[in-house]
Amino acid sequence: MIAARKAAAIAVLAGLALAFVLACFARPAVAQPAGETGDAPAQVQQPAPQAPQGYVSGHTIHEDKYESHETGMALLFWAFAAATVGGALFVITRRNLIAAVMGMVGSFLGIAAVYMMLYASFLAVLQMLVYAGAIMVLFVFVIMILNRPEDEPVAPTGRAGTALGALSILYIVGRLAMLLMHVHPPAGEAAVEAARKQLDDTRSVIAGIKDSPDAARHRELAEANEAAAELQYAKVASLSVPPPTREGYEWGSVRAVGTDLFDGGLFPFEAISILLLVAVVGAIAIARPLKDDTTGHAGELP
Amino acid sequence: MTDIVFHVGYGHFLVLAAVLFLIGMAGVLVRRNALIILMSVELMLNAANMTLIAFSRMWGDLSAHTFALIVIAVAAAEAAVGLAIVVAVFRGRRNVEVDHLTTLRH
Repeated sequence: MIAARKAAAIAVLAGLALAFVLACFARPAVAQPAGETGDAPAQVQQPAPQAPQGYVSGHTIHEDKYESHETGMALLFWAFAAATVGGALFVITRRNLIAAVMGMVGSFLGIAAVYMMLYASFLAVLQMLVYAGAIMVLFVFVIMILNRPEDEPVAPTGRAGTALGALSILYIVGRLAMLLMHVHPPAGEAAVEAARKQLDDTRSVIAGIKDSPDAARHRELAEANEAAAELQYAKVASLSVPPPTREGYEWGSVRAVGTDLFDGGLFPFEAISILLLVAVVGAIAIARPLKDDTTGHAGELP
Repeated sequence: MTDIVFHVGYGHFLVLAAVLFLIGMAGVLVRRNALIILMSVELMLNAANMTLIAFSRMWGDLSAHTFALIVIAVAAAEAAVGLAIVVAVFRGRRNVEVDHLTTLRH
């Protein structure tokens, strides 16, 4: 029976790996950026293209921000993704609880690095402080209090329960794999160049449109097209340096996040301060030894 | 094919987050130790955070960072209360296997 459960667990993990590989390789290699599968950009009708007389290089936002340092970044991404997934697998496969916590810490460090690759620098530091620091210490303390390896790692009991669990997990994994195949495909350098060129062309059309007879309508169309092209560029240029925020702060920095937090998120901020206070008081109230602890029954109110 | 390996797009981050969420979900479903279940819940919360941040980068909207910050705070509160409950249960029963916690079953 134990062997069967181990086989079921291995099957689940193999399914996860298969889903990851399928999702990565199920798409053609280079996305065609311009007329791409009916997202926004190609649908907007191109206004009558005139000779771009007053050609203005309108790259105020994304100018020269794309550098081709992609290969090293990609290899780093794979390393950190391996750390993240490996640590998570460690968590759910180890019987030794300390080993599981160490795997969780490795996974959180990988997640912090991935945040850094997404230019969320403040959140990456916060992830290390809160998760790899505070929560890890909390878990280690509790495990030191009650160190008991569990009997068997897999929960379902009985042949029917095992079969039901395996079937449902297989169903969920299959559905998620099908979903993951529709994730936006990774774009290559050529796609980035093409999207950038389209953005450039659209802006030159906007710059040259002012002498047209019905300039207002054309300008409207062209601006919609520019917004779509800009969005497309932002989609494909994923690892490039992000533009600064509206206030001019660096993307993901403490200033930018703090401005956003205390501007629109002030009430949630105050609310989570109350939540944390209540959680601290509640945790102490729950875990405190009771007066009549000698009876061996915790949980009743004193 | 090498393009997928050497050019990392937003899809990579989203798929990584989804795989992390799947692993956490498998841990919650399969393991019976309450501590491992709590750790798996933390993994799932982190996967949700990663999805938020990837979409934030994709759409150029920083407010998802605020959201992720609040999620981290709520996760810390959840871990504190959950571990306190685990300690209380262990003090009463000398055991934290969730299969044995059947007192509330009618």
